[in-house]
Amino acid sequence: MECALDAQSLISISLRKIHSSRTQRGGIKLHKNLLVSYVLRNARQLYLSERYAELYRRQQQQQQQQQQQQQQQQQPPHHQHQHLAYAAPGMPASAADFGPLQLGGGGDAEAREPAARHQLHQLHQLHQLHLQQQLHQHQHPAPRGCAAAAAAAAAGAPAGGAGALSELPGCAALQPPHGAPHRGQPLEPLQPGPAPLPPPAPAALCPRDPRASAACSAPSAPPAAAPQAAAGASPPASPAPASSPGFYRGAYPAPSDFGVHCSSQTTVLDLDTHVVTTVENGYLHQDCCASAHCPCCGQGAPGPGLASAAGCKRKYYPGQEEDEDDEEDAGDLGAEPPGGAPFAPCKRARFEDFCPDSSPDASNISNLISIFGSGFSGLVSRQPDSSEQPPPLNGQLCAKQALASLGAWTRAIVAF
Amino acid sequence: MIPGIGALAQDTLWCFSQVKGTIEIGATEADIISTVEFNHTGELLATGDKGGRVVIFQREQESKNQVHRRGEYNVYSTFQSHEPEFDYLKSLEIEEKINKIRWLPQQNAAYFLLSTNDKTVKLWKVSERDKRPEGYNLKDEEGRLRDPATITTLRVPVLRPMDLMVEATPRRVFANAHTYHINSISVNSDYETYMSADDLRINLWNFEITNQSFNIVDIKPANMEELTEVITAAEFHPHHCNTFVYSSSKGTIRLCDMRASALCDRHTKFFEEPEDPSNRSFFSEIISSISDVKFSHSGRYIMTRDYLTVKVWDLNMENRPIETYQVHDYLRSKLCSLYENDCIFDKFECVWNGSDSVIMTGSYNNFFRMFDRNTKRDVTLEASRENSKPRAILKPRKVCVGGKRRKDEISVDSLDFSKKILHTAWHPSENIIAVAATNNLYIFQDKVN
Repeated sequence: MECALDAQSLISISLRKIHSSRTQRGGIKLHKNLLVSYVLRNARQLYLSERYAELYRRQQQQQQQQQQQQQQQQQPPHHQHQHLAYAAPGMPASAADFGPLQLGGGGDAEAREPAARHQLHQLHQLHQLHLQQQLHQHQHPAPRGCAAAAAAAAAGAPAGGAGALSELPGCAALQPPHGAPHRGQPLEPLQPGPAPLPPPAPAALCPRDPRASAACSAPSAPPAAAPQAAAGASPPASPAPASSPGFYRGAYPAPSDFGVHCSSQTTVLDLDTHVVTTVENGYLHQDCCASAHCPCCGQGAPGPGLASAAGCKRKYYPGQEEDEDDEEDAGDLGAEPPGGAPFAPCKRARFEDFCPDSSPDASNISNLISIFGSGFSGLVSRQPDSSEQPPPLNGQLCAKQALASLGAWTRAIVAF
Repeated sequence: MIPGIGALAQDTLWCFSQVKGTIEIGATEADIISTVEFNHTGELLATGDKGGRVVIFQREQESKNQVHRRGEYNVYSTFQSHEPEFDYLKSLEIEEKINKIRWLPQQNAAYFLLSTNDKTVKLWKVSERDKRPEGYNLKDEEGRLRDPATITTLRVPVLRPMDLMVEATPRRVFANAHTYHINSISVNSDYETYMSADDLRINLWNFEITNQSFNIVDIKPANMEELTEVITAAEFHPHHCNTFVYSSSKGTIRLCDMRASALCDRHTKFFEEPEDPSNRSFFSEIISSISDVKFSHSGRYIMTRDYLTVKVWDLNMENRPIETYQVHDYLRSKLCSLYENDCIFDKFECVWNGSDSVIMTGSYNNFFRMFDRNTKRDVTLEASRENSKPRAILKPRKVCVGGKRRKDEISVDSLDFSKKILHTAWHPSENIIAVAATNNLYIFQDKVN
């Protein structure tokens, strides 16, 4: 009776459920789809937090290498605008130090691979341990501000220099956090109390909300000791999360807590090939604005829902307008060559970026858009310099799209 | 027979009484029972199924010859309540499945009940006819019109006895008031109004008026993207005609007072238990969704059912339930599989006994559970054909969680998740229960000494 508890498979299962609900007798059941969307959100938070943690760890490692090389070379300025995954423009300039080309610099990339992967694994365990502890102390499961955000990058991270982390805001793509910091309250409710790993590097990780950053920068001393302690604790702790079926491994409050962000494009680094791809992020600006914590928009009321766009004019994309028509054409979604289930079960994902090719899979993607609304529309376009081959439209792609875009599945409800 | 006194869950011996429904395995999906409800006296027992049919059983009078056997339930009336419909505007098929049946208190010789599918509520009148007029002048015996020219004499028609016929007629149809799927109906204690609840709205109806209803609760957000919870069940207070409760998919219950305002979006009381963060998982939101809410007969407590537990709340205490009962906590580690096979979305109901001392709810493998609130003892029983000998005492069942399985226990992995007991009913004053197991209806009674 065991089933794969990893985030990716849960996401694909959930997407499959949402898709098949469109053709079920009796019409779409709002309640069930709402519950499935919660599972999707939870799984995505885990997936993203894991991804961030690993990417961050690699960055840190690369940065140390770079610092040695910096004495010999000077970095080209044009890297500054490129961020690693989901970074926000207007980030502290130091965050730009993690331009992806830097990571690819030097021929020792491959030499670093084995060590990097090992450390990646360690990071992962560390990360899980920390988040497990975070879980125990959190009162509410809702995403919380910096504490959890910091937790995501805690493992292995050196104590906070500003700009230590650049992957803030994939949260742009994620739901607005409900966390306390964004309401101007201090971090106390979020801090795990006597946790051995208090949120480190908060200054680096805080959203740009000035109210929160003040609170965030407070606990900077303890984190210095945290990574070492955590590193020591990681091996024994790692089996525990993995061995509890039915509970996902740590990471409940995740980078979604990062809150603020208003980036409209995502630059993704393929860690294997070190190819950079810039993709229009799948979320809408109004969703970003609707977050209370978006300083560039300055909207007031926090959105309590999965994605709030209160007060913002809703954009309609052509694919979405065809929603009603697509009800009968639900079969089109299975337009992939295999006539069976439209979403093939996806394998465990490597950390490779994706680049939806607009031409051959445009119809499939637009069908997805019609289910999930405009959240996916940004994924249709791609930069001309991207070199990745278009992935097949299976559960893996959909999962990735779901991961990348904002509140896409919430729009499934809208579509209904 | 005084319910509750001496009728402790553990001390009561439940016996098989009857089973209704087909035995063969090839029963169609239309036969799956989707709701079960006793009327206010317990004389009638109604079931609705996925095919839109309602079957009413009536308890036969106890005969002097067989005092050790209390009255059995026999089919009284069967009728097609709802038919499948097609909404052409939305290209949606509307299922004919009966979601809920609620009886009205009896006020004359006829019986009235409300039955609802996803979109339409109907008021049915079930009446008996045991006399028939005969001797019409203008019609012959078969009802055909006679040629007036052939009539030479006049007579007065007389009523003659006939075989008892039970006829059901739809007296009211309350349609077109719900955009989303109706999940609950509840008759008000004033017997003049009732409410129907769908995922986002609750409407108040007057029985006499079918083309209007008042919307009393609306939780639809201005932007559907902000939707975070839906209404899952609603019920009127048994005595206070101004009070009702509704439960949500987030595990909360709101009590509303219709005197406060016309639109009861702002609750009077809000019942929520803080979540235990150590139990957090991917599926926390799903298992906290409340599938049923029921007032106690006294009106002082409410009982809620979520996926793994039953909780009893005191209306005077909002911050936590006064009692929590684990129905099948061994499923907590199986949530992922249950999510995959959709069982995690099953909506179990719960019921009170007549004296509010025992509560009952269903589980998988055709198990159902009873919890005695006074003695804190519980029992697991099974509705199966193997235990279907008349007056056979039901043996308590046990699910073994750990490694060693005892002889009579069943392990968690052997449970049959396709056999689920979602709907049960308890006679209002006696220890008689009706348990719906897929397409069969089991009736159990306590052992009469």
